[in-house]
Amino acid sequence: MPKGAFHAPALRKTVLEMAFAGSSVHIGCAFSIVEILAVLYRSHLRLGNGQPKSAGRDYLVLSKGHGVMALYACLYELGWLQRDDIDRYFGDGTRLKGLSDVHVPGVEVTSGSLGHGLSVGVGLALAAKRKGTGQRCYAIVGDGEMNEGAIWEALLFAAQFRLDNLMVIVDENRFQAMGTTADIMMLGDLEVKLRAFGFDAVTVDGHDENALERAFSEVKSAANARPKAVVARTVKGKGVSFMENDNIWHYTRLTDATYREALRELDAA
Amino acid sequence: MRPTFSRLLADAARRDERVLLLTGDHGYALFDEFRRVCPGQYLNCGVAEQNMVGVAAGLAKGGFRPIVYGLAAFIPMRVLEQIKMDVCFESLPVIFIGDGAGVVYSTLGASHQCTEDLAALRAIPHINIVSPADRYELEYCFDQILAADGPSYLRFGKADRGDVHTALPRVELGDLIQVRSGSASYAFIATGSMVRTAIELAEHFGSVPVWSVPAITPVNEKQLLEIGRAHRQLFVMEEHSVHGGLGSLVAESAATSGGFRVARLGIENRFSDLCGSYSFLMSRHGLGTNELRDRIAAILADAGPDK
Repeated sequence: MPKGAFHAPALRKTVLEMAFAGSSVHIGCAFSIVEILAVLYRSHLRLGNGQPKSAGRDYLVLSKGHGVMALYACLYELGWLQRDDIDRYFGDGTRLKGLSDVHVPGVEVTSGSLGHGLSVGVGLALAAKRKGTGQRCYAIVGDGEMNEGAIWEALLFAAQFRLDNLMVIVDENRFQAMGTTADIMMLGDLEVKLRAFGFDAVTVDGHDENALERAFSEVKSAANARPKAVVARTVKGKGVSFMENDNIWHYTRLTDATYREALRELDAA
Repeated sequence: MRPTFSRLLADAARRDERVLLLTGDHGYALFDEFRRVCPGQYLNCGVAEQNMVGVAAGLAKGGFRPIVYGLAAFIPMRVLEQIKMDVCFESLPVIFIGDGAGVVYSTLGASHQCTEDLAALRAIPHINIVSPADRYELEYCFDQILAADGPSYLRFGKADRGDVHTALPRVELGDLIQVRSGSASYAFIATGSMVRTAIELAEHFGSVPVWSVPAITPVNEKQLLEIGRAHRQLFVMEEHSVHGGLGSLVAESAATSGGFRVARLGIENRFSDLCGSYSFLMSRHGLGTNELRDRIAAILADAGPDK
């Protein structure tokens, strides 16, 4: 696959290489948003002149900073990160941290502390609306992150201020750090909740790129003043059979054996 | 101070359309002029302070100059982490106004009182902290932080204590401003509402010099040390905890460079236990003029006569 194709298995492979190089955790968190990011980068985000801070660009806000390796994989495809960044992940003196940091080219907000990014994204969307720039803001939030009260404050605000240039994408992988969302903090039907908060919302298979493509286009095309939401049903750890729906991959580090086995599966995909 | 503040906010918005005023559903009369003059630049963000700070960060990233207003008990205290991560980490030009700092809301209790904001913010990088004593310092501080590239916090405390200056200060941000001269071997250093008290006490004790400290961060440490070394004792007064505020700042300088003693006259590590007027609570915390007069006299007596 050529660079810039945002081919999901290739993105996962980059994530896996980083995770192995840095002996990092949060692999499952990254794998669940790969297709969401691939579709956004391939056909929705307008990146202006192709440089990270291009004026008039659309904003991609990764509010669930725990999935940052998937974002790094996309930024690597864009040429904004280098091979050395991937190979030396977590090395002494390197620039990529385990949670998203705004000082990395292409990372729009700092996250890791959950429930922050959506509000900043709401502010970016409001700034664009006030200036009439036509910019959109796509904010990816985790379902576990939706335990945070600030998320619901931001949703209320987005509807009140008629931010139809905001799209909230929920990575609904139904897990959070210590277990399932059902067991820890039940979220119920997020599409219904988002509609009740004044959003245009649809639910979609978060790993079906065609379905995501249609959903993003469909909610964007609605000519009304409502903010938009796509609830993406995803699988934590998607793409590697022994990681899927096993929350241990929120925490576990790769061994030589699990790395080789995961690589084999991704190469076959 | 409040009419001045109301005018300053409206003027700032009128001069610069990038200036937006965000409030968490507070500031009833304070914003009347602003709303009349620049209604489109006034955003009531609802009773949702965490989101308000994140939105301010996004607006600043998008080219605006947000001013985030709240009671000090909420801005900065309730949203300290948003201030740290959304604003200060990226050094965004957002101004935070913490109104009613100290024990201004004396009848409402601990939830609306705030004696820990300076301590909390002093440990966060990039943010300027100002604490004006009167309407002149308020205008001076506001102009300075409005022109700053990064974030700032304006501590707005008891606002009706009267003037300590007769004109706008013309100093660098961080400078201490002498508001009374004197030849005593000790000096009074104060910020915000306590500058007026320090002047009253200086008049009681005689020829005591008084400095006002409108900027807590940055502070002109060289000047502070010069003042300290020219005296054998500094009395530092603030309507804030003795832990982490101006008294701590002065004591840290003294401890690092030595040579003078520091008495921290602030609120001890406790909440207000009783209800009552502002002056009642200040007395209860040992910060009324009479209480301070006795405390200072006792410290001076302990220290013995001037050599």
